[in-house]
Amino acid sequence: MFPINDHVDLLIEVLQRLDGRSLGAAACVCRQWCSIVRNDSLWEHLCFRQLSPPPSVGTRSVVLALGGYRRLYMVCVRPVVSRLKAGESEVVRRVWNQREMELTLSLFCVEYYERLLGGGGVVGGGESPAKSLKFLCQAVNVGL
Amino acid sequence: MGPYDSSISPAAGSSNSSSSACSSSTKPPPPDQMDHLLAGAGYKVRSNELNQVAERLQHLETVMVKSLPVDISEMVNDAVYYNPTDLASWVDSLLTELNTNVTVPEPVPVNTDLSDLHEFPSGMNVYGSNHAPEMHGEFSQQAVTPLEEDVSIRLVHVLMTCAEAVQRGDLSLASLLIDDLQALLGRVNSGCGIGKVGSFFVDALSQRVVNSPENGVVQVELTAYENEILYHHYYEACPYLKFAHFTANQAILEAFDGQDCVHVIDFNLMQGLQWPALIQALALRPGGPPLLRLTGIGPPSNDGRDSLREIGLKLAELARSVNVRFAFRGVAASRLDDVKPWMLQVSPKEAVAVNSIMQLHKLLGPGPPIDLVLDWIRDLNPRILMVVEQESNHNQPEFLDRFTESLYYYSTMFDSLDACTAQPEKSLAELYIQREICNVVCCEGSARVERHEPLVRWRERLTSAGFAPLHLGSNAFKQARMLLTLFSAEGYSVEENEGCLTLGWHSRPLIAASAWQAIPKPSPATMGR
Repeated sequence: MFPINDHVDLLIEVLQRLDGRSLGAAACVCRQWCSIVRNDSLWEHLCFRQLSPPPSVGTRSVVLALGGYRRLYMVCVRPVVSRLKAGESEVVRRVWNQREMELTLSLFCVEYYERLLGGGGVVGGGESPAKSLKFLCQAVNVGL
Repeated sequence: MGPYDSSISPAAGSSNSSSSACSSSTKPPPPDQMDHLLAGAGYKVRSNELNQVAERLQHLETVMVKSLPVDISEMVNDAVYYNPTDLASWVDSLLTELNTNVTVPEPVPVNTDLSDLHEFPSGMNVYGSNHAPEMHGEFSQQAVTPLEEDVSIRLVHVLMTCAEAVQRGDLSLASLLIDDLQALLGRVNSGCGIGKVGSFFVDALSQRVVNSPENGVVQVELTAYENEILYHHYYEACPYLKFAHFTANQAILEAFDGQDCVHVIDFNLMQGLQWPALIQALALRPGGPPLLRLTGIGPPSNDGRDSLREIGLKLAELARSVNVRFAFRGVAASRLDDVKPWMLQVSPKEAVAVNSIMQLHKLLGPGPPIDLVLDWIRDLNPRILMVVEQESNHNQPEFLDRFTESLYYYSTMFDSLDACTAQPEKSLAELYIQREICNVVCCEGSARVERHEPLVRWRERLTSAGFAPLHLGSNAFKQARMLLTLFSAEGYSVEENEGCLTLGWHSRPLIAASAWQAIPKPSPATMGR
């Protein structure tokens, strides 16, 4: 048996290739996996690995200030991508373009600000997004 | 049978792959072929007969609903005689069966937008919003029965008659008609469509008739907090404000390219929802962020809170998190023409952007305030003046014209709202719009501030005030389009109109964004030599 937990760098290599849902499932495997998956850099990789060209240098500090990559993925990237490509099964395996990323970051910033407005507690704030992004999570009501 | 014989259909099992490649073309099928969408559902209808079949099916439904139950049960108990696959002849046969003598109305020339007719097999609902306005189709409804549709049409007619009576000063007739209208409202579905927006207009009319038809009523003032709540819900429930903010930000960003000291003047700060995205975009711009000054204008506080200062602090906190040097200044003024340029403290070294989201129309009341304000804006020499306004003419001198135009405009807006998301946000957003409606219908003189004018009028006005248009680039357009695909309702459309962008519901633009640059005034030293 190959004890993957003893080779964390390999484990991270594998995890980097997963999609968001699988990462979430991976976090439930054991405590060690959970702490590795919660590492924001994995989610950074998930958000931007398909971005061409790669995001600018200052992006990381901005994203971290606004809540981190995992939150960016959960609250913005995942719903935006699934909405922009409604109907595709592989949600993340597509190439982002610059414009889509910029819009996503702007929406993330508005969401951060709305939590600021909502009164205090922005640090680690709840998992559910602020009101203005709820529209992204609603089921698409197409032609019914 | 050669490989390129086009009479071989791809389904005929020909194993010659080049043949099927040839017979599949990317051209749209010729009109007398079967509609392929319906064919997928098992119905055969020719594309050029779609309108007619739709009309006949509609008529069939009318007849079946209006028939006595006894007639229908006879039909239901019999075996099916006619094959429904051929829809056209099936519906004709059924109509003949029911012995209808009523003439089927001639098909109105409508957009043969097939995405509407795609609803066919499930809904039989032909009332897509693409109906031509002359068929009262601008008040599009969700699946209504023909009876309800008659009531809706009557509602609109009585509304118009009542407005006309108000304009003539015939108050007794107007009061009677309002009673009529209340009765009619009881018979329609007031949860959506014409029922809902109709009830707001009836309400506004009755306020006007009861209170002061000549001089108009004065609307109850809300606290700053209440106004902000309504505005925020309107922001969330529909894309108009988001479109305004994002388009304005993109234009301002481009105007600030290469500038190190920038100053944005916001004519209506509210909760400052527009600015986080700009701050973030400036933080990430190549070359680093500039020093950003924001001057927010807003009404003086009437509830003890210093709302301007609070918002300034929150924006400063955000700017600090993303490392953008930021300074905020609040200017309290109840009307835009109370603002004097010295209050804005513009420094000559900075690049100035003036941002007016649905504010300039408030200056079109009696007197010359709009010209004075445009004049001092020009004196600030802004690199960009961003103007977003409602795309409608609610400032006509005749009451009836205003009423008609606003009925059409707000019905369309409510339609778009209906197609969007969940409940609680919507009702407060509707209240926000209702206050606008009330102002247009009930108020007069300086109390009537919602004096919307269409883009063409603003173009004339701004050009004669010394501004040159700046084209909103393709970036703004693409961003707006992308923003729209994120919304749950399909039906919004972004159009480009001579360098300006409009957002509308189906083919009706509802909000227009334009950018302007001040033409520097000729300096006195060079004049008159």
